[in-house]
Amino acid sequence: MFDLIVTGFSIVFAPATFLFIVGGTIIGVIFGAMPGVSASMAVALALPFAYAMKPIVAIAFLVSVYCASITGGGITAILFKIPGTPSSAPTTFDGYPMAQRGEAGKALGYSLIASAFGGLVAAFAMALISPQLAAVALKFGPSELFAVSFLGLSVLSCLDSDNIVKTLISGCIGLLLACIGMDPMLGIARFTFGSSTLLGGIEMIPVMIGLFAVTEVLKQTNKQKKIDVEKDSTTKDGDTSAKLPSFKELWDTKWTMIRASILGTVVGILPGAGATIASFLSYAIEKKVSKHPELLGTGIPDGIVASEAANNGATGGAMVPLLSLGIPGGNAAAIMMTALVIQGVQVGPLLIKQQPEYLASVFASMFVTNIVMVIVSMGIARVFAKILSVPYSILGPVIVILATIGAYATNNNTGDVVLMVGAGIIGYLFSKLKYNSAALVLGLVLGQMCESNFRRAYTLTNGSIIAIFSKPITFVIVAACVIMLVYPFVKPLVSKKKAA
Amino acid sequence: MDIIFSVVLIIAGIGLFAMIGADPAAAASPTELGAAFWPQIILAIMIVLSVVNIVTSLKKMKADGKTVTSDIDVAGFFKSKLFIGMIAVAILALVLPTIGFVPACILFLIGYGILLKADNIPKLAIISVLITIVIYILFQGALDIMLPRGTGFFRELALTFEKILPF
Repeated sequence: MFDLIVTGFSIVFAPATFLFIVGGTIIGVIFGAMPGVSASMAVALALPFAYAMKPIVAIAFLVSVYCASITGGGITAILFKIPGTPSSAPTTFDGYPMAQRGEAGKALGYSLIASAFGGLVAAFAMALISPQLAAVALKFGPSELFAVSFLGLSVLSCLDSDNIVKTLISGCIGLLLACIGMDPMLGIARFTFGSSTLLGGIEMIPVMIGLFAVTEVLKQTNKQKKIDVEKDSTTKDGDTSAKLPSFKELWDTKWTMIRASILGTVVGILPGAGATIASFLSYAIEKKVSKHPELLGTGIPDGIVASEAANNGATGGAMVPLLSLGIPGGNAAAIMMTALVIQGVQVGPLLIKQQPEYLASVFASMFVTNIVMVIVSMGIARVFAKILSVPYSILGPVIVILATIGAYATNNNTGDVVLMVGAGIIGYLFSKLKYNSAALVLGLVLGQMCESNFRRAYTLTNGSIIAIFSKPITFVIVAACVIMLVYPFVKPLVSKKKAA
Repeated sequence: MDIIFSVVLIIAGIGLFAMIGADPAAAASPTELGAAFWPQIILAIMIVLSVVNIVTSLKKMKADGKTVTSDIDVAGFFKSKLFIGMIAVAILALVLPTIGFVPACILFLIGYGILLKADNIPKLAIISVLITIVIYILFQGALDIMLPRGTGFFRELALTFEKILPF
């Protein structure tokens, strides 16, 4: 282990490599903060630079871009309610309300520290127990993956305790939207109404951008006088710079940070899961275990920490199957694998044994990136935060234009912009009628994973439901989900009985 | 409004339930749950929840002494800035493939700025053009995202802009 660390740092602290990592971090944070540039797209954009490097430097550079882009996504999520990357969508739930209260700097501080912590935990997990983690991941078959996604959905019952029924309906709408297009098992068209455009399904990114960014601009359009007053108080405080929270404030979020980092790392390892599901799942679990769940979503640090520590934890997790088994866990890992394969590196189970310097290089690069990232992001966030003092008559339309580019760039398709606008208008209707946009997004994100794994498990067990749920991991997770789902309904009855 | 939305959800839910159930290719087999299984479960839950929501809302409405339409102000909505904002955003999405990114962006920034009561219109126009240039150079140039060019004259215009780009 010690040798691995020494080898890794000797690679990344070579002057040229270190500069590449710092450059990769800057590029990653900026790309991540741009709406429409996802983490995998950021890695793809950085790929041409990597071709000119030695393979071991190239992987260190690409890892730095990947980790930093996930962090960068949180900046615009907090300041403008536009998630720069889909994995930052839950960051908007608490980050944006904090920014609106004039605590943008503090929100950014929490986001950056949590991101760095999550990334470091994942880096150490990857370096210390990569083969063991990969072995655990291989035990997760369809039934276990169904249970994990169901765990995420179980939070629907407590996302908004004042409107449980409406929140559940919102989640159902999200799950239904995820059904549109080709059925994941048989390829049968569902709810496409003969449209070839709908065959590909509903894109998650335009819906998220519409529900969060466009809805917010429409809300502010309706109450513009109020926002200008709020903005005055924000700028008077001078708190729009990326001011770090105090040590005590950070210490208060320690359990959330640890929980989210571990969860993010584990989810990152699971095939087909990734940073987006990690951050949603982490936010969902936080809502369940928090001492004050009713405050989540109103602008508290725990919400930001849960989302950002988990999505950065997933970056390290995603590298585990890539380095241990030669299996890319997500799009960004697949692009990194391509870069290595093109340079003649044999990626597979023997890579760690025969060329441990690759694992060492990735670990050290993640370690350095997660530290450099805090400094770089603070500088970049400061520039972005200045934009908050721009009058809303300019800022509002600019947010819509950036959202438009973000939706369009997903597939270079103007149809996605129409989808974004539709989602924005529905989002406004949702907020007026007290339905829950976050529940809809949760359903959309987890819907396909939940359905396809349940159906796959059913086929693998020859149609035996009992066999699916009798697997130990599945049983434990599903039992926990059922308790979580039923608890909010049972709780008032128990309290009534006690009172009587 | 809440009740009307729930009724719409129930009607749509029943329609979709029947539609997916009528597709023979989506039917279940002994070892495959079929394409209709999952959506039908979700639709059934959604319909039941919507009925619960209607009952709850009706009870609340009765207690408050309101009617189904008492919170709806159709005329006020069509006159509101919100409605104009929704139309503006929809127009932006619809004209994007025809007139391309640059003209659509400039017109939207000016139009929405006026809607949000910008103080100085000529200043707003200049700022809108400058913002469009910065966004265009950043995304089309530096990040190589192929922004919509439009058709006919607008396409020629977009191609000219692309030639000028330094990247």
